Amino acid sequence: MAYLLQQLLSKSARAYPEKMAVWARGMSIAYRELEEQSNQLAHLLRKRGVKKGDRVGLFFPKCVQSVVSMLGVLKAGGVYVPLDPQAPADRVGYIIENCGIRVLITNHEKRQALSSETSSALECCILIDESGNGDAANSWSALSEFPADHAPQVSLIETDLAYILYTSGSTGRPKGVMLSHQNALTFVEWCAEEFKVNCNDQLSNHAPLHFDLSVFDIYNTLEAGATVYLITEELALFPTSLANFIESKGITIWYSVPSALMLLLLHAHLTPEKLKSVRTILFAGEVFPMKYLRQLADISQNSELYNLYGPTETNVCTYYKIERERLSTLEKLPIGIACANTEAFAVTPDGRLAAQGEPGELYVRGPSVTYGYWADSDKTRTMVVPNQFQPHFEEKMYRTGDIVMLSDDGNYYFQGRRDSMIKSRGYRIELGEIESALLSHPGVREAAVLAVPDEVMGNRIRAVVAAHVPDSITALELQQYCASRVPKYMIPELIDLCEELPKTSTGKIDRVKLAQSARGPLQIPGRATTARPQPFLQQ
Amino acid sequence: MIEAAEVKDRIREYVREEFAKSKGINEITDQEVLTKNGIIDSMGIFRLVAFLEETFNVRIGDEEITHDNLESVDAIERLVITKTKK
Repeated sequence: MAYLLQQLLSKSARAYPEKMAVWARGMSIAYRELEEQSNQLAHLLRKRGVKKGDRVGLFFPKCVQSVVSMLGVLKAGGVYVPLDPQAPADRVGYIIENCGIRVLITNHEKRQALSSETSSALECCILIDESGNGDAANSWSALSEFPADHAPQVSLIETDLAYILYTSGSTGRPKGVMLSHQNALTFVEWCAEEFKVNCNDQLSNHAPLHFDLSVFDIYNTLEAGATVYLITEELALFPTSLANFIESKGITIWYSVPSALMLLLLHAHLTPEKLKSVRTILFAGEVFPMKYLRQLADISQNSELYNLYGPTETNVCTYYKIERERLSTLEKLPIGIACANTEAFAVTPDGRLAAQGEPGELYVRGPSVTYGYWADSDKTRTMVVPNQFQPHFEEKMYRTGDIVMLSDDGNYYFQGRRDSMIKSRGYRIELGEIESALLSHPGVREAAVLAVPDEVMGNRIRAVVAAHVPDSITALELQQYCASRVPKYMIPELIDLCEELPKTSTGKIDRVKLAQSARGPLQIPGRATTARPQPFLQQ
Repeated sequence: MIEAAEVKDRIREYVREEFAKSKGINEITDQEVLTKNGIIDSMGIFRLVAFLEETFNVRIGDEEITHDNLESVDAIERLVITKTKK
């Protein structure tokens, strides 16, 4: 039985040595090669000083080497940290500093993009492309000097950390969710069982690798001896090309955020023919509007559809298998029932287990639940709490912040958030992180960031800002300032400048009033849409 | 009929003002791959197409919204020129 993620690869490399494991950008790698290259990389990493538990960053666009790197780091006993290749240097630098990354696997272009401060904090950069500057010892070509037939000897157990995924943080900085081999394997094993992933499957990987949806794509592929096709950011932008890709590669299992599926529905002229190879469609990360889900179900008659739910901190904790016969009458999509070896339950504000039909915050316990946040014990203490329903020994549970309700059909339904975290295209965004970014601008006196619900994207982001000196800053300047601090999907699409933000009687920013003025029709992105969103505070 | 040089200027101007600047990128070359560094995202693609259709009075089919046709200012110009000649 596998208790470490890399054992999934080793098992399949023995069973299917010549089978294609990963495909990306026209390149592929077979299981034997993947096993050998990741062994070699692990030796190289050890030689560069990586010890058990050390964090190693991965900072380059998705490619075959991404998977080699993930496995190589694990085999070296390290913890990999996938960094968003499109994130601004400031954010990447923060993460590198926050979790103490000393060795970074990257490429030429991305290494150049690091700030000089970040570069000097790193002890070593291993380049996946040829170095060209004489540093061959730290480039991919150096791998051939290391043993391929075995990994370094490192004593690891299932509760050791495997990777850290950074998500948006409400205090203005991203937070690192720590996940162990056991956390990931609990989820992977459940998926293997529930979706019957087998060696003939062709999986897609739509999500970025710093996004937890990719854990299924990569590790369930390796578990089953299947093949995963990594979809690059560029391919994901073009629905028609993406639909052709699904058809030509014969994808059998698709997993993405609903908005990716909606773009396919709206712009790729999806036909049952295009999806004929797809037997399972999984989606997670945001609410799938019923209207589009019904369309998808019509087109994909041969596929089983699943709504998966769960914050990064729990991988996936509940799921709902779509019952086609209920789709026409179902008003809202359930998040379903708990996955195997996971317990999910709603707790009322006064600390009782919620009864059926009573809203409560969803708590999750089980081996898939994170230890908490890297180097943030305060945040960890508020989110990963002692299980008050288990008085006899110490046990932790995770509070999701999601308000849910158990319905009489036996399923949980998502009702809303307890805080100001929102989802946009499946990305988890703390509005407070964007507000902090705006407020850190020397010219900004007040800032409020709002999410405006949008059918396709989930939410669109708008901001209202008051400057210290009226007319001293422009919306564009502020967008550019945000661009240097937060990922592109967190930059407000529209920033309204005003003299003063509306206040409540107690002097707080009146978010209700702001939200009401923002309720005007925001155009749904589509072919007919050229209009800019209208400013919602008329000057 | 719009001159070829003007087509490119208007495309470049639009991409710069609409997408690049707000992401902290002030200058783009005509060969720069716009999809690579998130200059244009999935929603932006459709705003761009709507702009092209309106400005140059052309019709761009969903099947023509591809990486090859829209990857750079140069590629977009080629697409528009081919379309306006028809």
